[in-house]
Amino acid sequence: MNYGSIEREIHIEAPPEVVFEVLTSPEHIKDWWEPGEVTLDARPGGAGEIVWGARSSPDGHVATLTVVDVVPPRLFSFRWVYPDGAVAGPGNSLLVTFEIRPSDTGSVLLLTETGFREKGWEAAVLEQQYQEHVQGWDHFVPRLAASATKLVASS
Amino acid sequence: MTVAVRDDLWSAIGDPTRLRMLDLLLAGEAATATTLSEHLPVTRQAVAKHLGVLDRVGLVNVRPVGREMRYEVDEAQLAHAAAQLAAVGASWEARLRRIKQISEAIARRQEL
Repeated sequence: MNYGSIEREIHIEAPPEVVFEVLTSPEHIKDWWEPGEVTLDARPGGAGEIVWGARSSPDGHVATLTVVDVVPPRLFSFRWVYPDGAVAGPGNSLLVTFEIRPSDTGSVLLLTETGFREKGWEAAVLEQQYQEHVQGWDHFVPRLAASATKLVASS
Repeated sequence: MTVAVRDDLWSAIGDPTRLRMLDLLLAGEAATATTLSEHLPVTRQAVAKHLGVLDRVGLVNVRPVGREMRYEVDEAQLAHAAAQLAAVGASWEARLRRIKQISEAIARRQEL
C-alpha cells in the first residue's frame, strides 16, 4: 500500500465527453459529491467552492478548489485542502487528477490524489519503522477497515 | 457528507522539524526535549514548542520521569491519522461510483 497517494480506476459505459461533463459541471457535481452548493470556474486557475450543510452552522463545511488543468474530454485536475487564503501549490494542498481514457465500450476514469506525503503523511504512516519499533500495523489494520467501511456506508 | 480532513492533525505533522521529531520518536525510545534537540538543528526550546503542538493533536504522550518530561508517539492517534487516509480513499470510491451511475444514465438517454 502506498500511503503517499490514492489511485482508483473505474470503467464507465459512457463516452469521455459525458464523463467529462459530469466531472466538471456544478449541476452534476451536486449529484456525485452531494454538497448543498457548488460553484466552479472550470478553467485553469479557476476557483471553485463546494459547501456542505449551512455555511454558517458548526456542521457546515466549505471546500475551496483551484483548478489546475482542463483538457476536455481527457483531463481535469484541481488542488484542494489548503490553508484559507493561501495560493494552492505543491506542498500545501492535495492534487486531485481525473484522467479519462476512451475504451471499447465507453471510458476508463482514473483518479489520483497526491500530496499526502508533502503535507506530512509520511511521518504519520512510517510503515516500516512502525513495524520495527511498535507493534506493527497488524494491530490497527482491522480498525482501519472498520473505519473505512463505516465511512462508505455513511457517505 | 464528505470526510473532513483533520487539518490540525495534518499541519501538526506537515512541519519538517516535527516530521523529523516523529521519526526520531518512532525510531527510538521515549525521548526528552533535550535528547531530541541533540539530533536536530534547533534549540531545546524550539523542540519543546514543537512537542507542544504534537501533544495538542494527541500524536505524542508525555509523562514525567524524575525531573524530565518524556515523550512517546501515541499509537492510537497515529493509527487514526493512517485511518483518515484510508477513509479518503473509500470516500473517493463512493464518489466514483456515483460519477459512473450519472454518466451511464446520461449516455443511455442520449442513445434513445
